[in-house]
Amino acid sequence: MANYFNTLPLRAQLAELGKCRFMHLNEFSDGVEALRGKKMVVIGCGAQGLNQGLNLRDSGLDVSYALRDEAIAQQRQSWKNATENGFTVGTYEELLPTADVVLNLTPDKQHTNVVETIMPMMKHGACLSYSHGFNIVEEGMQVRDDITVIMVAPKCPGSEVRAEYVRGFGVPTLIAVHEDNDPNGVGLALAKAYAVGTGGHKAGVLMSSFIAEVKSDLMGEQTILCGMLQTGSLLCFDKMVDEGIDAAYASKLIQYGWETITEALKYGGVTNMMDRLANPAKIRAFELSEELKDIMRDLYNKHQDDIMTGAFSSGMMADWANDDAKLLGWRADTAETPFEKTPASDMEIAEQEYFDNGILMVAMVKAGVELAFETMTAAGIIAESAYYESLHETPLIANTIARKKLYEMNATISDTAEYGCYLYNHACVPLLADFMTGITSDMIGKGLDIADTGVDNAHLIEVNEAIRSHPVETIGSVLRGHMADMKRIV
Amino acid sequence: MIRLDALSVDFDERFQLHDIKWTLRPGEHWLITGANGSGKSALAAVLAGDGDRLSGTLEGVPERVALVSYERQADLIAAERRKDDADILDVMSEGTPVAEILGDGCEDLDLARNLVDTLGARPLMNRAFRKLSTGETRKVMLIRALTSRADLLVLDEPFDGLDHDSLIWLQGHLCELAETTPMVIVLNRFDECPDFVTHVAYVDDGRLPLCVERGDEQAYAELYQLLHLKTSDLEIPAADPAAQLPALDPDKPLVQLTGATVRYADNTVFEGLDWTIEPNQSWQLSGPNGSGKTCLLQLITGDHPQCYVNDINIFGYQRGTGESIWEIKQFIGYVSTALQWEYTVSTGLRNVIISGFYDSIGLYTKSTDAEKTIADEWLALLGISDRAEEPFNRLSFGDQRLVLIARAMVKHPPLLILDEPCLGLDDMNRQLVLALVERICLGSETSVLYVNHREQDRVAGIDNHLTLSDNTGA
Ligand SMILES: NC(=O)c1ccc[n+]([C@@H]2O[C@H](COP(=O)([O-])OP(=O)(O)OC[C@H]3O[C@@H](n4cnc5c(N)ncnc54)[C@H](OP(=O)(O)O)[C@@H]3O)[C@@H](O)[C@H]2O)c1
Ligand SMILES: [Mg+2]
Repeated sequence: MANYFNTLPLRAQLAELGKCRFMHLNEFSDGVEALRGKKMVVIGCGAQGLNQGLNLRDSGLDVSYALRDEAIAQQRQSWKNATENGFTVGTYEELLPTADVVLNLTPDKQHTNVVETIMPMMKHGACLSYSHGFNIVEEGMQVRDDITVIMVAPKCPGSEVRAEYVRGFGVPTLIAVHEDNDPNGVGLALAKAYAVGTGGHKAGVLMSSFIAEVKSDLMGEQTILCGMLQTGSLLCFDKMVDEGIDAAYASKLIQYGWETITEALKYGGVTNMMDRLANPAKIRAFELSEELKDIMRDLYNKHQDDIMTGAFSSGMMADWANDDAKLLGWRADTAETPFEKTPASDMEIAEQEYFDNGILMVAMVKAGVELAFETMTAAGIIAESAYYESLHETPLIANTIARKKLYEMNATISDTAEYGCYLYNHACVPLLADFMTGITSDMIGKGLDIADTGVDNAHLIEVNEAIRSHPVETIGSVLRGHMADMKRIV
Repeated sequence: MIRLDALSVDFDERFQLHDIKWTLRPGEHWLITGANGSGKSALAAVLAGDGDRLSGTLEGVPERVALVSYERQADLIAAERRKDDADILDVMSEGTPVAEILGDGCEDLDLARNLVDTLGARPLMNRAFRKLSTGETRKVMLIRALTSRADLLVLDEPFDGLDHDSLIWLQGHLCELAETTPMVIVLNRFDECPDFVTHVAYVDDGRLPLCVERGDEQAYAELYQLLHLKTSDLEIPAADPAAQLPALDPDKPLVQLTGATVRYADNTVFEGLDWTIEPNQSWQLSGPNGSGKTCLLQLITGDHPQCYVNDINIFGYQRGTGESIWEIKQFIGYVSTALQWEYTVSTGLRNVIISGFYDSIGLYTKSTDAEKTIADEWLALLGISDRAEEPFNRLSFGDQRLVLIARAMVKHPPLLILDEPCLGLDDMNRQLVLALVERICLGSETSVLYVNHREQDRVAGIDNHLTLSDNTGA
C-alpha cells in the first residue's frame, strides 16, 4: 500500500488540505434519521469505542460491539466495557455480515490488519467509518468500491465525548467523506447523522477531508500539544532545581501549572493568557516567546514537512515493524526523568502564582501555539482546522499532565501522538540548551522582582497589539464566539 | 435565665406545642418567627403562663410578664362582654372606660400620659374599651403593657395596624426599653425586626427546629429566605405555554418496571423488581446505602446503561426501541447531590433555572423572553430575585440545591425525582428544601418521587412507599 496523499497531484493535495468549513447548526436538522433503524457495529471498545457507542445508543440508534475472539474469550476490559453497559457483544462473524455501518475504533496501528480482516465480511453497500484518517491517508488502505468510507473524529478524549453528551452538549467534531469511496453519495448524510448521534453538532462540526484531518492532527499532537509540554516540563524542572528552588515545589508548579495557564487560554485565547500576567511579566513572556519562536521555527517546519511527505509515518511504521523498539525505549526514558520522579509538594499554590512564577511556561505555550498554527496554515491547512489542532486541544492535554504528569499524558494520547511527541522532544531539548542557560529563576520558579515594575507605555501597546493581532487570535475569537453562542458556560 | 426543656403544651386541644427546647439568657432579646399557624403566638403565650403543660419543664419565667397579643386582646374583650351579661340592671352599661383599663396595673403614670399622647389615644380615654376598633384596642393594650414595669415583655405582632408615625416612635421606645427589660417579639415579617433583637427562634408546625443568632449573617439570611418561602403567597410559576410537553395518555402509568434487575460482574444490586408509578401518584423510596436506590432511579432517568437490558415502559416508550434519552428526560425533573457536583458551572442563576427547559447542564441555546420571565418568577419564589446574575458556583450549598429544584420544576414535568434532596444540608437548609418541596407537592400536577431514608424529612402528601433492602431486592 502506498501513502495515499503522495499519490495525488499537487493541485488535488492542496484542495484536500484546504477543505474545511464550519457547519451551521441548521445543516443538522435531519437529526439521526439517516442512521435510524440501521445496524451500527463498533469494532473495539476502548476510549472512543465505548463512549461514542453510549452516546449513539442514547440518541436512539442500534449499537452493538464486534470484538476480536481473544477479547471475548479472555473477557478483557473491552469485553467488560461493552457487556457491563448492556450492549450486545459478538464475534466479527456474528455481527458484521448484517451491519449497515461498521465503526472502526481500534488503535490506528491495528487498522490495516483489522480492516483487511473485516472487509470480506461486510455486506454490499455498507459503510465503514473511522475517527482518524491515518489508515486511509498514510497507509493508503484500499477499501472495497461498494463500501462508503466516512470519518467522524471527535476533537477530544473519549471520556469528554461522553461527559459533554450527558450534560446535553457535545465536543467539537470533524467529519469527512473519502471521495474515492462514496458510491451512493450517502457519505455526508451518514457522517452528519453520526455527529448528531454523538452530540458533536451542538459544539460545532468542521466539514473537512481525511487528508486535512490527518496532516493537521499529526502536526498539532507532535508539536504544541504533547511535544512542547513534555520538553517544557523537563527543561523548566531542571532549570528550577539548578537555581536552588525546592524540587517538590518545582514539580508541583509544572504539573499543575500547564493546566492552570491553559485554562486561561481556553477562555480567551493567547491574549487572555498573557493578560493574566502583570505588565512587566507580560512583556518578559512576550520577548521570551519571540526568542523561542525564532529558535524552534525550523523544527516546526521539519515536523510539518515530514508529515506532508509521509517521512514521519513511514518512520513510525518501521518502528511498528520493529516491535515498537523506539517508542518503548523513549517511554522508559521519560519515566526516569527527574521531573517525573519528583513527587509534587503538597503546599498550596495560588492560581495567580502559577502565572507569576511560570513566565517561561506561558512563553512556551504562546510560542508553541503560534508556531504550530503558523506552520499548519502555511502548509495549506485552513485556519479553523489549525486552531482546533493547536490552541483548542492544548488545555485538554494539559489536564492529563495535572493528573499524573507525563506518564498520564502519554498513556492517554494515541501511540501515534506519543511517538511524535518523543520525536519532537528529542530534537527540541538540545535545541533549547543555549537558550536555557540564559534563563534565571525570575522567569521560572520565583517570578519578577517586585521592584522592577516599570513599563514603557509605547512598548506595552506594541506588545499588546502583537499578541492580539496574531491570526490564531482572530480565528479563535470567531470560533469561540460560535461556541459561546451555544455554550455559554465556556 | 428562662429555660424550656422538652416542653409540650396544649392549648384547649386546638393546638399543641411539642418538645420545645429553648433557653433565653439575660441580655438576650428574641424574635419568634414562623409561618401562619406554626405556633409562634402559642410559644410567646407560654411565657405568659398560657396553655396546659403536658410534659417537660418551664423554669425561670419572671413573675411579672406583660403580653400583648390578639389572643389577650380577644380575652379582654370577652371578659368585658361577660361583665355586661352579669349586669342585672336594666340600664345598658357603657362598659369599662379606657382610662380605667389603663389605670389598672399602671406603674408609671408619666409614661402612660406620654404614651397616650404620642400614640394619639387621648380621644379614646373616656370611651368604653369594648367599643374600640381593633387598632384602637391594640394601642391600649400596648400602653398597658409598656407602663406595667414588667420583668419580661412579650409582644406578639406589636406593629400590626399602627400608623407610620406611631410605628417609628414605638420602635424607638422599645429600643430604649431594651436596655432594662428583656423582650420577646413575635413578627411575621422579618424586615420589621428591631435592631436590639439578638436572637431569632423559628417555629414550624408546633416545634422549634431552629434558633439563630442575629450576628450569624448567613444563617440570618437563610432564615429570611425560609420565612419568605413559608409565608409569601407566591404561586408556583406556570409552565411555558410555548414549550408544551407532548401529551401523555392519562390512563397509562408514567413508569412501569417489570422484573427490573441491575447486575454487575461480581454483584447483583437488585433483581426481579416490579414497580408502577401512576400519573399524579407520589412515592417515597427508601433503603439503606448500597441498596440500589440511585441505580433504580437511573433506570428511570435513562442514566443507567442497563436500562437497555430491562423491561421498562416509560412515558409511553418501551426503552430500547429507538427513542432518545432526551425524549425521556423531557418528562422528568431531577435533583440529586451528584447532579449538584456535576453542575460546576459559573452560569448565572437565571440561566441555570432556564437550563431546566433543555435538560442540560449549562445553557447551550439562546433562551426566550418567556423562559426568562418564568425563571425570574422562580427566583422570586426562592426570595433571591436580586441574585439572578450571580454565578451558580458561588452560591451556598443549600441555595444551589434550591435553585436546582427550581430548575427541575421549571417545565412542570409529570415526574419530579428528588434523590436525597436534603443530603448534606444543615438544619436550616433542610427546612428550606422541605418548604419548597411541600409547596411543589401542593401546587402542581407533578408526581413526586422522593428518595430519602430520614424519617423526619418526610413530605406531607406522599403516601406510597417502596423500600429496598440491602442487595436482596424489594
Ligand atoms: N483517544 C483519543 O483522544 C482519540 C480522539 C479522537 C480519535 N481517536 C481515534 O479513535 C480510534 C480509537 O482510539 P482509542 O483511543 O479509542 O483506542 P483504545 O482506547 O486503545 O481502544 C482500542 C480498542 O480496540 C481493541 N483492539 C486493539 N487491537 C485490536 C485488534 N488488533 N483487533 C481488534 N480490536 C483491537 C481494544 O480491545 P482489545 O485489545 O480488548 O481487543 C480496545 O478496546 C483511533 O483511530 C484514534 O485515532 C482517538
Ligand atoms: Mg487530535
